[in-house]
Amino acid sequence: MKESMSQDTHDPHDVVDCRSAMDRLFEMLDGELTPERERQVRAHIVGCPGCFAHADFEERFLKAVRAARLSGASASLRERVLSSLRAQGWTG
Amino acid sequence: MMTDSTTAQGHDAHADFSELALTALDDVYRFARSLTRDEADAEDVVQETYLRAFRSWHTFQVGTDVRRWLFTIARNVFLRSRERGRREVTLDDDGSEAVDAAQAAEAWVMRGLGPIIDRADLGPAINRALEGIPSTYRDAVVLVDVEDQSYEGAAEVLGIPVGTVRSRLFRGRKLLQERLAVYAQDAGFTTPAGTSGGSE
Repeated sequence: MKESMSQDTHDPHDVVDCRSAMDRLFEMLDGELTPERERQVRAHIVGCPGCFAHADFEERFLKAVRAARLSGASASLRERVLSSLRAQGWTG
Repeated sequence: MMTDSTTAQGHDAHADFSELALTALDDVYRFARSLTRDEADAEDVVQETYLRAFRSWHTFQVGTDVRRWLFTIARNVFLRSRERGRREVTLDDDGSEAVDAAQAAEAWVMRGLGPIIDRADLGPAINRALEGIPSTYRDAVVLVDVEDQSYEGAAEVLGIPVGTVRSRLFRGRKLLQERLAVYAQDAGFTTPAGTSGGSE
């Protein structure tokens, strides 16, 4: 779970234009903006067809990358790890 | 090494290790796979990671992000193994030029990739493309996009500032998109003009 809203230093009275909205797009999609900044950026995107198309594309792209995640460790790797831990005294 | 299985807090350390650290095995394997780009090497990294984690489990603070802690160990194990192999790690932290290059390609990528990005069968192509981008950028993309780490978490694992995570993530995503757009074109999903199946 992402939990930080890092480095989002901004003037709350800043006007969000296309450039600043797109500069902040990934941070918005990653949940890294403060709620207020996110609200401002989203408000611009919703009202701007060009930025909306761009944001829609990036959101779909990130969703596709997440969905493509590789499968996890094989059963043989799991057993190998457990065996090596047992040899070190693990009793869990 | 962890010799006493009961911590000062009264918890069974071995049980905690099983419950917290071992349940992250799939995530650690995926991260190791992205670091090494080789299944056998990834398995070696995972095994060594868990041995080190077990030995230093007493230093882990229960309640903090165990995956972040394990990813950090895994990356250190990987870098150490590369050192032993006398292979150099080259890092490019300058994101400015990269950002410009990525922006120039953006319109082409959106036209080419947009029509197919939702395809359910794109997964293998995404993973191949991810393996093809430089590790400097791939590590940031995998940590944030695949393993759901925050920028701060990825920065901690990679030992770099949050701002560098941000620029590497941007560049990595753009490189990934460019590779996928080329794949889409080569596979006949799109034409060089970016249309899908002759109709857009």
